[in-house]
Amino acid sequence: MSVKTKQRTTFDVFTRIERGDDLIHIGTVEAETAELAKVYAAYTYDEEDWVEMCVVDRAQLDWVRKPKGLFAGKGA
Amino acid sequence: MAEQTAGLTSFIHLVETIADNKYVLGDRLVEVGVSGPNLEATLAAIAMAQGELGHARLLYNWSADLKGVKKADVKDQSGKALPNAVKVNNWITLIASLYATNAAIDLVLKAVSESEHAKVASRVQKLINEQKEHIIYARGWAKQLLNDKGAVPAKFKEALNEAIPEAGEWLKSVEAQTEIVEEGYMSKTVSLYEAFKAEVEQLTTPALVSTN
Repeated sequence: MSVKTKQRTTFDVFTRIERGDDLIHIGTVEAETAELAKVYAAYTYDEEDWVEMCVVDRAQLDWVRKPKGLFAGKGA
Repeated sequence: MAEQTAGLTSFIHLVETIADNKYVLGDRLVEVGVSGPNLEATLAAIAMAQGELGHARLLYNWSADLKGVKKADVKDQSGKALPNAVKVNNWITLIASLYATNAAIDLVLKAVSESEHAKVASRVQKLINEQKEHIIYARGWAKQLLNDKGAVPAKFKEALNEAIPEAGEWLKSVEAQTEIVEEGYMSKTVSLYEAFKAEVEQLTTPALVSTN
């Protein structure tokens, strides 16, 4: 019997090192829920004493511009 | 060495019981958690193990302070941990035990944080804050296992039906030690057992998991 986790979503992780610093993208976690994504992010990216950390479901991002595929022009 | 009142003696026993449970959970989170279902869950389990063992160390030291004895190296739990936590041997029993034990400990620590003794209250605040994530993790995984496919939900309910009543009985025994509340080491704002039942009911329906 093995535990099959349900569909996992990619969450982008953003942090601010100190007040006034830029909010920076430091990586991603894959999680089943936003609550678990927050826990995973806190434990995975604990190299700094961040003043802020947040996770964003990648599917919730509204893109203004995205890079085209490198070989899009060649029909790839 | 300070004279021990009945309330203090019971309170020291309570602190050591929580320490033992955290010691055992820390050990199980490493042993079982290292082979978690995915990388993130495994990383979090190992990080939480460090947290649980750190809490155990802090509580054992606190117990020594309260008893007025020298702090000693802790080689093993003192036998007060919940048997269900001790026998954790796979991911399903780990999550069931982590959830039930930490939810029960959280309620006790919150009652202690409202102690009439300022020094007692201040010592548990950091623990309460740090274990919030442990409870979110255990609850999140418990929900997943209850909604998994195949034999997993039934196995998990079975594990919960062992872990939850045991933690409930422990809370009842803590409540029965009225001297702890009478001497102000813990507040008596709400029934610990009733609060635990309410927490468990949020996770699943009473028909699925027995709290008795």
